[in-house]
Amino acid sequence: MIIPVINWSLISLEVLISIILVFLVVMDIALPKNTKKDWIGISSFIALLGLIIFWSTQKDLTGVTFSGMFVMDSLAWFFKGFFLIAMVFVFAMTQEFFKSLGERRNEFYLLLWLALIGMCLVASSADFLLMFISIEILTISLYVMTAYLKSDKLSIEAGMKYLILGSLASGFFLYGISFLYGITHSTHFNVIQSYCEIHVMAPMTLFAMVLIFAAVGFKIAAVPFHMWVADVYQGAPTPVTALLSVGSKAAGFVVLIRLFFGIFGAWHLEWSLALAILSAITMTYGNLVAMFQTNIKRLLGYSSISHAGYLLMGAAAGSALGVSGINFYLLGYLFTNLAAFLVIIVFSIATNSDEIEDYAGLSQRSSLLALTMLLSLVSLAGMPPLAGFFGKFTLLMAVIKSGYVWLALIAGVNIVISLYYYLMVVKRIYVDAPRHTSAIIVPRGIQLLLIAAIIGIVVIGIFQGPFLDAAMAAVNGMYLAHL
Amino acid sequence: MITPNLTWILLLPLFGLGFVCLLPADKTSLIRRISGVAVLLPFALSVWVYVAYDHVAGGFQFVQNIPWVVPFGISYHLGVDGINSLMLLLLGAASLAAVLISGSIKERVKEYYVLLLITIIGTYGAFLSLDIFFFYFFHEVAAVPVFLMIAIWGSERREFAAMKLTLYLVAGAAIALIGLLALYLATGLQTFDLVAIQQQLASHPIPMATQNWIFPLIVVGFGITLTLWPFYTWAPVGYAEAPTAISMLHAGVLKKMGAYAIIRFAIQLMPQAAHAWMPIIAALAIVNIVYCGLVALTQRDLKYILGYSSCSHMGYILLGLACFNTIGLNGVVYLMFAHGIMAALAFALVGFVSEQTRTRNLDELGGLLKCMPFIGTCFMMAAFASAGVPGFANFVAEILVLLGAWDQYRWLTVFAVLGLVITAIYLLKAIRLGFQGPLDPKFSKLVDAQTLSAKFPYVMLLALLILVGCLPSVILTHIGSSTKTIVESMR
Repeated sequence: MIIPVINWSLISLEVLISIILVFLVVMDIALPKNTKKDWIGISSFIALLGLIIFWSTQKDLTGVTFSGMFVMDSLAWFFKGFFLIAMVFVFAMTQEFFKSLGERRNEFYLLLWLALIGMCLVASSADFLLMFISIEILTISLYVMTAYLKSDKLSIEAGMKYLILGSLASGFFLYGISFLYGITHSTHFNVIQSYCEIHVMAPMTLFAMVLIFAAVGFKIAAVPFHMWVADVYQGAPTPVTALLSVGSKAAGFVVLIRLFFGIFGAWHLEWSLALAILSAITMTYGNLVAMFQTNIKRLLGYSSISHAGYLLMGAAAGSALGVSGINFYLLGYLFTNLAAFLVIIVFSIATNSDEIEDYAGLSQRSSLLALTMLLSLVSLAGMPPLAGFFGKFTLLMAVIKSGYVWLALIAGVNIVISLYYYLMVVKRIYVDAPRHTSAIIVPRGIQLLLIAAIIGIVVIGIFQGPFLDAAMAAVNGMYLAHL
Repeated sequence: MITPNLTWILLLPLFGLGFVCLLPADKTSLIRRISGVAVLLPFALSVWVYVAYDHVAGGFQFVQNIPWVVPFGISYHLGVDGINSLMLLLLGAASLAAVLISGSIKERVKEYYVLLLITIIGTYGAFLSLDIFFFYFFHEVAAVPVFLMIAIWGSERREFAAMKLTLYLVAGAAIALIGLLALYLATGLQTFDLVAIQQQLASHPIPMATQNWIFPLIVVGFGITLTLWPFYTWAPVGYAEAPTAISMLHAGVLKKMGAYAIIRFAIQLMPQAAHAWMPIIAALAIVNIVYCGLVALTQRDLKYILGYSSCSHMGYILLGLACFNTIGLNGVVYLMFAHGIMAALAFALVGFVSEQTRTRNLDELGGLLKCMPFIGTCFMMAAFASAGVPGFANFVAEILVLLGAWDQYRWLTVFAVLGLVITAIYLLKAIRLGFQGPLDPKFSKLVDAQTLSAKFPYVMLLALLILVGCLPSVILTHIGSSTKTIVESMR
């Protein structure tokens, strides 16, 4: 038996994260129970910043290890950075969120770290087994975090819904993998890919692909796998909602890219129409339902469905441009959506409400919160000069280039619909008179983060070049790319 | 010789915006002064650009070109020709007047000027850009600030009006964006640079089948901005409910971005499709002129009259665009300028009146000439200008358009002339009901614009109308230098 040589440098980021996790577990046990100071949160924060620096040195690291199970390529690198930055925001949100709750904060941090490992591994999977396990690591920690507020009915309900539907999705995923294994005798992407290149649209393989797509559709919240979204978004603790809407969705899109532009890339012509139709339905459904929401978290839940629809346009385009569009869009979406959730957290701590009507007159209670919400909503709607605009621009260009002008037109209609409900919130914040005039105080740390998010939204929106280059580079160096 | 640097036209108001943002909200008079300077300086620069532009040489001048997003061929490319140098002048004058008459805004002053300056910067950027991407980018920047300004500082139905206006305009922009992207892909050049695309398409036009579906997307998309019938309904209500400065800027300038885009991106780049489609647009233009004119006749609200009137006059612009001859296109650009100044003036005057009287309803007004002779006289002159009385800029513009149209569309032109009569009727009616007759005693205490600084914005706009009306060559030489090449490319 040959023991495969393992290239540890490729997997060093994940190893480091695991070490940090273990260290934090020990710290949690060792620290006296009644310490006021949030040591784990602070060390997590420092560790994350360190990890981002470490990640930035890994740019040119490429290769496959663990007998071809683990891959480090440009796509993985791009998304790991994405997840790390998202986590910085989520940790800060958590810190803020648990200030009012107090207990069981440390375990939550540990779960977040676990989710981070899962996401990073998803980005690097080159084998269905590893991919399944890493998705499960991510999802199981999300189950726990969703139901974390034990005394809150909505949180428990959200957790149950997410667990049941999530398990169903995992079942589909496994079922699909088992078919693929039966056909190709392997779970390695490269083996399955070469099989698919020869046997285009082989019925059994196609069936497996559809099953796997159902699981991915669940992760990215595409119609018809979206049933869980609104309730879970509303019920889950807001930092988890933020993680679901950005991190988990992005993880789903990494899988999608690996599947449709790698393994099943040879079938492009056949699947792209199906994805285009799905994209149109998803964005239209999300936007139409979002119009009638009165709770800001539910509104963003449905809006996140519609954004999955926009993102699917990039997949439907089936070109390198489309994937670059997805990457760029997600990058803008990261800052935009996290900024919105930051505002929601600060606001709900101050007023104990997530109802949109309570946002009335926010501009007179805290100009920073109001401005952040304005910019992020307008950016979500895709108006220049903000990040969301150029993402939509790139995706529209990609679908028109691939000949789906009708999809671009539907997207155009959707932009108008979405603008309507985003502007209704903006109207509440800036036009309506406040019910309570008391000022909302934003903690110093959150202020910095809000400003960072605003800078992110505006800079990505105006100086698109470097970010587009990064999004394109991620595609160009992709392992097993079939574009 | 020092040549003007176009980037400063954007940077100066941007600096002003930055200053205003940094100031505390209660320093209102300082905020007003800085905003005034922030629009005065780019106006002065625009005048310089206009004067320095060499119309004999023609083409794009004072060009600046910085690559921006290389993979897509997007560049920060500024430059002016006879058309947009005139548009800069229009925007400069209208924006200065709009900022000066905003003194009556007392609530949330800082936010007001911030949003107003963003709108102005976006519009400058759109007119300066020679890159299709950046045109679109800047043109959309104004959308949300305008929404907020109408929704916060507008009159009774402001929230409805703001939403309707914004959704219509964004829908138009989205349709146009799809057309522009299709155009970009159809050229196969991988560049959004207008100049490069113009050169390429002059020798290798896009296949007719492709042109045929891209062209209507762009024309209808930007046509919505230009209140093309039947997509005009956002305008009257939007202008009526908006604060005065936004009515002035939107009816005067922002709307003209639609016509500008149709000239630059649709007609010039896809002349074959233009020949096929523009007769339909011409017919719609007549509906615009006559139908909106008739609706204006029935209105009792001064601002609604102006709003419908503005939609009606856009018909002449659309008709001129469909002419394919130099004289018609000259008329279009001339009218964009003349109508812009006239609309800004008329909305400013109505804003003044309604702030004093707290009503815009003609049934309640009357005899205002007695208590505000200056404002009343200005309004009468603006109305004469709008109705096409010789001596004002609009007369020249409308004559040019009608002459251009006569060759192409005999019958339509007859109706277009009829539109002028309708205009005269509703404007005379407005003057008679609003400014003549007995003065309601409750209005006897009203004060006219008294100080020189209060009168200045109106005088400036009126002077421009008369100057350009009496000396058409001041702007016709500029316009002609650019329209000539466009019309040649259409043959």
